[in-house]
Amino acid sequence: MIVVTKEDFSVDEVLNDIRSKEMGALVTFVGVVRGHSEGRAVEEIEIQVYEEMAKAQLEAIRREAMERYNVEEVAIVHRYGSLNVSENIMMIAVGAGHRPEGFDACRFVLERIKESVPIWKKEITPEGDFWVEGEEHGRKS
Amino acid sequence: MLSGKRSSPVSRSGSESMRVKVRYFASIRDRLGMDQEEVETPTGTTLSALYEELKATHKDLHEWNRVLLAVNGEYMDPDQILGEGDVVAVFPPVSGG
Repeated sequence: MIVVTKEDFSVDEVLNDIRSKEMGALVTFVGVVRGHSEGRAVEEIEIQVYEEMAKAQLEAIRREAMERYNVEEVAIVHRYGSLNVSENIMMIAVGAGHRPEGFDACRFVLERIKESVPIWKKEITPEGDFWVEGEEHGRKS
Repeated sequence: MLSGKRSSPVSRSGSESMRVKVRYFASIRDRLGMDQEEVETPTGTTLSALYEELKATHKDLHEWNRVLLAVNGEYMDPDQILGEGDVVAVFPPVSGG
């Protein structure tokens, strides 16, 4: 299950969507908007996505994680558009037989998203708007 | 949506040329003030050669030490030879998740 959407999502709905009797663990990661960054207050963020490519990349990461860690299912939901502090940005849910492979697969998916999926955050702050580029924060919009 | 101007399908050198669409994202889109343009380039141009051409046209691109390049929605080797109608994406390091 890969979803790229402007809308908020329900963690329970995503979990119920992937639940099956083979699973003993549902490992979930939810990324939310932090109210500060690099010493600046963040008022909101804007997320831009190259949608066609992002969906294909996310699907490739999902399949790679399922094969590599032998987990039952991986769901990834990522939002774009304007998001307020504390709102959901994205979610990864891994359904696994047991917790070790579930945690490992979840972390793998998150790290791969951060290095290769064409999605960008812009932080809206009282000092101006700043793009986040990889690990770097601070190119002014 | 802004687009580059259309011009003759023959390049300045007179040799065969092709058109590719270039899409820009995030900070690069903001700086260049456009989200896409059509570019005419000689047949057989590689991805890295196209990016050099783009840097010559858009000096602001020199500000980015690292950009990611994709062709038709997939990351490609810089030596990849482009084809007529290819969609090339130029963007800064990603920050999703």
